[in-house]
Amino acid sequence: MNEIFSQTIWLVPLYALVGAMLAIPWSPGIIRQTGPRPSGYINALMTFIALSHSLLALSEIWHQPVQYLSFQWLHAADLNISFDLVISPITIGALVLITGLNLAAQIYAIGYMEMDWGWARFYSLLALFEAGMSTLVLCNSLFFSYVVLEILTLGTYLLIGLWFNQSLVVTGARDAFLTKRVGDLILLMAVVALLPLAGTWNYTELAQWAKTTTIDPNIATLLCLALIAGPLGKCAQFPLHLWLDEAMEGPMPATILRNTIVVSTGAWVLIKLQPVFTLSPVASTVMIGIGSVTAIGASLIAIAQIDIKRSLSYSVSAYMGLVFIAVGTQQDETALRLLFTYAIAMSLLVMSIGGVVLNNITQDLTKYGGLWSRRPISGICYLVGAASLVAFPPLGCFWTLTEMADNLWNTHPWLVGVLVIVNGLTAFSITREFSLIFGGKPKQMTVRSPEGLWALVLPMTFGMGFALHVPILLHQWNLLPEWENLNLTVAIPLVISTLVGAGASAFIYLNEKITKPIEFKPKAVQDFFAYDLYTAQLYRVTIVFVVGLVSQIIYWFDRYLVDGVINLVGLATIFSGESLKYNVSGQTQFYFLSIFLGVILFVGVVCFPIISQFSFVLFP
Amino acid sequence: MQLEYCLLLAAALFCIGIYGLITSRNAVRVLMSIELMLNAVNLNLMGFSNFLDPTGIKGQVFTVFVITVAAAEAAVGLAIILAIYRNRNTIDMEQFNLLKW
Repeated sequence: MNEIFSQTIWLVPLYALVGAMLAIPWSPGIIRQTGPRPSGYINALMTFIALSHSLLALSEIWHQPVQYLSFQWLHAADLNISFDLVISPITIGALVLITGLNLAAQIYAIGYMEMDWGWARFYSLLALFEAGMSTLVLCNSLFFSYVVLEILTLGTYLLIGLWFNQSLVVTGARDAFLTKRVGDLILLMAVVALLPLAGTWNYTELAQWAKTTTIDPNIATLLCLALIAGPLGKCAQFPLHLWLDEAMEGPMPATILRNTIVVSTGAWVLIKLQPVFTLSPVASTVMIGIGSVTAIGASLIAIAQIDIKRSLSYSVSAYMGLVFIAVGTQQDETALRLLFTYAIAMSLLVMSIGGVVLNNITQDLTKYGGLWSRRPISGICYLVGAASLVAFPPLGCFWTLTEMADNLWNTHPWLVGVLVIVNGLTAFSITREFSLIFGGKPKQMTVRSPEGLWALVLPMTFGMGFALHVPILLHQWNLLPEWENLNLTVAIPLVISTLVGAGASAFIYLNEKITKPIEFKPKAVQDFFAYDLYTAQLYRVTIVFVVGLVSQIIYWFDRYLVDGVINLVGLATIFSGESLKYNVSGQTQFYFLSIFLGVILFVGVVCFPIISQFSFVLFP
Repeated sequence: MQLEYCLLLAAALFCIGIYGLITSRNAVRVLMSIELMLNAVNLNLMGFSNFLDPTGIKGQVFTVFVITVAAAEAAVGLAIILAIYRNRNTIDMEQFNLLKW
């Protein structure tokens, strides 16, 4: 009886779905009189209920064994698809994180979307996301993970395209949908191929299968590569990372969600599939390679951005790259903890940035300056978020990054180097943003900049409090190593890289003597990173060009060859009719001739055997 | 070999009739060619009647019928030619190509 909340945990996604439906009537076209605000309040309430439910369930399930639930979804012939749920402290913890961040984002949006009429659409999409992510973390089946990932891809398209009268929003939403869709489709290939091999889509059974199976290594490699492709697109990893940059055209509260947890949905599937990846060393190497390249590349790109949202979005790609490295080196527990600490820190950063953007209009970092004295809450929240994001003891990500480096130290020492570099570069990047926004002298755009309303500040400060408590929570959950067990050989370089990155950045950007904007020599390198390695052009000359060319060729083929053959038949018929009609010459004698020739022909055909005998007689 | 000669003569006459039928510009001459063809047929009938059926001579009866029908037909044909002539003032077959495509 005391497990009522954990046994009904499947209600959590339904709360959000109910919220999504209830929000719709306040669309401007349906309820025309009252304005859209109730949809936001309803959704915040539903999310609060979901959060409370998750928290109660978490306290019930704590120290309990993992439980499994299963619903029959489809039974046709010998195919049996069941909807499996797993109820464990990890999944319910993830539910708490999702609903908590959603509640924060929704309350934040009450302030941020003050001057907007599109609450119904916005909140129902946020609720759809909450439902999708809750389902994703609860479900224990690769098939349904895929289903939810696809629904979330559609949701991303609609949510980025919220303000669709802006042309960049339309192209951004298009790219986000197509890029993620490509990854998901390759994932689908693997999902379909996995069933005949493993006979199950259940993650637990897949892990069992992966331990004992003896499939061909080539098949295993292909399978694992396809399984990586889905999360690759979802997590905005190289080379499918451009969508996240363009997705920054969407509204800020949605960015909170996307940068923290939506990109983590891919990582979640990746972590769940980690036992399968052990089948193929190549896949692990690829994962580590992609993760490292993305982590270093994206942190360099982040430094070269002048748009605050985009700068943060590349840090997102970089941290997802670290998750890839963690999964590639079989540290799924560490990857989960990294997702947790990262999500808290990044949400705090985005919330702080959102409040700044709302009151200063511009997103251009070069037009900011001198906000520290007037925006202390945003500034402190940003600082705490930044310190939580990089290895800065004793805050969140320090512990996870150290743990990861510690695990890597004996097996892949060079990856520790990657970790240190990424940490240093990220520290440089976020300190640069802090210095440009909050440091220096006020500029024209920032001369008058009041702190945001309560709805913006409240979730931000709550998030800050939570971020500050993360180490205590981790300690409570016995997830922290003892001080004496801490591997100082990796912890010290990480902390030093943080300090060096942040210090160098602060020195450069807070120093009045260095002229701004910074010109890097050679300029081409700066542009190379500022324009995101020219990825948009790269897409355009490779895949977009090829697909465009092929479709034009196919269109031409269809239009002229396939249609042409059929049209030729019609034309030939018309032409023959038009020309054969001249046989009706109007000359009676011509008709006589036709009759005569016809009779001759007929007689010739009928009498052919006899005539041929004649010729035999005549020419023996 | 009497029958063959008879038949060959009839065939030759028929062919001459055909040639006249499809080349003549004068409509009366077309009718005349038709008469040639009918007479070629009559020669055939007479030949067969004499050499293959000398007792029954059904071919001769046929010939009598053909001659009478041909006479009536020629009369109607001339009437048609006259009717056309009254309207169009010519009996040139090449002027009668109004009913074409």
